[in-house]
Amino acid sequence: MAEDLQATRPVEVDESPQRRRVWRGPWRSVILPLVVVGAIVGAIWWLDYRPDAGSSPYDPRYGPAEMPAALVSPGMTVEAKAGSLAPDFLLATLDGGELRLSDLRGKGVIVNFWASWCAPCRKEMPQFVAAYDQYRGEGLEVVAVNVQESPSIIRPFVDDFGMKFPVVLDKRSSVSDSYRLSGLPMTYFIDREGVIRSVFQGPFLERLQGTQVQGAIEEDELTRRIQEILG
Amino acid sequence: MAEESALRGAGWWRLARELDPIRATWRLFTNVRWAIGIIAFLALASLVGVVVPQVPAAVRGDAVAEGRWLDVQEGRFGFLTGGMNSLGLFDVFHVAWFMYALGLLVVSVAVCTAGRLPPIWRSVNRPAKRVNDAYFQSARYRLEYGTPAEGSRLESVLRRRLYAVERYEEGDTVYLFADRFQLAQLATFASHLALIVILAAALMSRFSGFSNGMMIAEGESGPVFPLKNPRQMQVQLLDAVGRFTPDGQPLEYSSRLAIYDGGEEVKRCTSTVNTPCSYRGYRFHQAAYFGFGADVQVRNLASGNVVFRETMALASTLPSPHVIVRDGAGKVLLDGTLVLTDILSDDQFTYYGRLVTLPGGRTLTIGARKAAAQEEWRLAAFEPGERGDAVRLVLSEGESAAAGGLAVEFADLQAVPAEFIPDFPLPPDSATGGGSQSVLLEMSNVVYGTETTSEGTAVRPAADSGPPELTIVGVRPQALTLRPGEKAEVGGYEYSFVGQREFAGIQVKRDRSDYLVWLGVGLLLAGLLATFWVPRRRLWAKISPARTQLAGHAGHLVNFEKEMAEMARDEGGTVGEQQGQENDE
Repeated sequence: MAEDLQATRPVEVDESPQRRRVWRGPWRSVILPLVVVGAIVGAIWWLDYRPDAGSSPYDPRYGPAEMPAALVSPGMTVEAKAGSLAPDFLLATLDGGELRLSDLRGKGVIVNFWASWCAPCRKEMPQFVAAYDQYRGEGLEVVAVNVQESPSIIRPFVDDFGMKFPVVLDKRSSVSDSYRLSGLPMTYFIDREGVIRSVFQGPFLERLQGTQVQGAIEEDELTRRIQEILG
Repeated sequence: MAEESALRGAGWWRLARELDPIRATWRLFTNVRWAIGIIAFLALASLVGVVVPQVPAAVRGDAVAEGRWLDVQEGRFGFLTGGMNSLGLFDVFHVAWFMYALGLLVVSVAVCTAGRLPPIWRSVNRPAKRVNDAYFQSARYRLEYGTPAEGSRLESVLRRRLYAVERYEEGDTVYLFADRFQLAQLATFASHLALIVILAAALMSRFSGFSNGMMIAEGESGPVFPLKNPRQMQVQLLDAVGRFTPDGQPLEYSSRLAIYDGGEEVKRCTSTVNTPCSYRGYRFHQAAYFGFGADVQVRNLASGNVVFRETMALASTLPSPHVIVRDGAGKVLLDGTLVLTDILSDDQFTYYGRLVTLPGGRTLTIGARKAAAQEEWRLAAFEPGERGDAVRLVLSEGESAAAGGLAVEFADLQAVPAEFIPDFPLPPDSATGGGSQSVLLEMSNVVYGTETTSEGTAVRPAADSGPPELTIVGVRPQALTLRPGEKAEVGGYEYSFVGQREFAGIQVKRDRSDYLVWLGVGLLLAGLLATFWVPRRRLWAKISPARTQLAGHAGHLVNFEKEMAEMARDEGGTVGEQQGQENDE
């Protein structure tokens, strides 16, 4: 220590270093502090939005699927709109199996997006249950795509309402995205060739039902659309 | 000539440097007055944000609701309203210019700190250990005294006072450099960092804060985020608990929740007002409680399927008079609170009534009515038919009267939770042929809470005993009254009153900026404490056999001249006239 002190020369005491500004070039005086601030903000942001350990892993196989080439008719587009082929998907079913939409080719298919918390979905579901019972023999299939709910929440609802058709789980809402879902419920009517014949947003309600919450729809609207896809 | 040209060139270089936009910006942002100006601007804006009404969170983002809210403000601010709204004065803390000002302050503090870091770091890390002799005559704090005859003990005195001491000898003169609380000089950076962290917290709260209110019935669930949000979670209300005093005053509300993430249950917890559940940084606060929900199920008997299952909030109330009817011998024929199932109204009165058949077969129409302009309810008891002594009574609350051999007492008027429910399913075999229409639900004998809650109730039970009863008016000509678990078949449908259910309001919030605020406040306190409680002290000493000269530097809050005098006294020095003189710079 003594050697150090001895080796130094007397210097002026900097009594107020905090009052001095030192320009050390644009990189060290401007860019570096901004990078540091950016790093702090970035770290905070990452801590805020880092992947959560609590999230359960998704099976990457489930979601939108590539339509088998053999099922794409020449000149047809695959798009979630009337007149196009319905985008294919593979999803887990509530009973533990899997369902691929393209496997239903040859049947008229109703793809209904729903959730148990959605009151209009609850109101319209008996219509689909009844329609399925009535038209199953003619080749109607109903696929109820549940959006982002837990099987334990869905199951009592499915049992109570007697939903005998497949209920598939769109946990990541990736299929909902591919079908441009803008609200619940939303229903796609797909004919035996896999072409979307019509899209209906909102609940199908029984005759007179729903007249106080939305404009009344025609009594046989659901029937008409089913017959359209069954040919 | 060449020298002159070189000098001219240097001048141009200096001018060019001054005009360098990056350096000019740096000079602006490292100017303390600039930072103070921004802080003053933010303080003024915050004052405006406190004084001027701010658009409520529930209204923000809803153009129609915001328009209505502004219409209300126009009554207060008149023609200024439009301009104030354009400037964002009704939403100061969310408007872009406020955020820009916060961002500017962050940048200013960061650049300012970076600009001052090198000299301060050098002062801490490589302090001036040797000073010129002239400094002993000009230092802010200085002291000169006679060196003790037995030799200087200043070094040991300084070490006892926890100074780090270094020494250097030159002939018979000893030089000392002593430093105490060396690192405290860096405290200013803790304070500056605190400011950055707090401002970052404000920005983070603004941009990543989340809040969503949900009203959920027991057994039901709801999504936390809008549809398709990739971070979607569901909250299921397993049990809502309201504890009340016997006179109906609320003691505590809580909710037992199940939280689902990625379609799987990930947590079960109890949320109270002060102790929310937490998951993934989201807090689930108990925000509201509502005790009068009716869980109703309608099943199609033909298919066996449920066609309707809802828990409906009965948020209104209807009058329910407590009526006592006795016969001429004083025998009680009726003593109960009546759910009034028929509703009629005209310009003058609104009637709520029902038919009551007494033991023995006599029938009374008992109703409550209130004139449009009156507050008081009257009980009307009429006996159908042409009997001369038929009952025709109108009573105020607490009154009783006799007619037709019957004594009728209007004990008091109570209220039962009720609500008109639109689109309630009608039986397919009814006159309407199914479909739906608005029906009236009334629930009497209501209780708060579940079996785990208190039996207190804010709305008095309609009867002293018995479970809740649900009366459905509208699915058949007569009202349908069901107890929990009871079912009734009407025209092909089976109507069930599953039971009374409670609702809980759950406020889901996520604002991790609060942790940052705590961190910022901690840093600020640490910086201030270090600055004010343990400011750095530096002392240089020149010790010759005859005299000792001290020169010191410390913050303004340190009475260093006193400390120096104590040091001199401790080592037995003879303090001269110059002690403690301060050099006012």
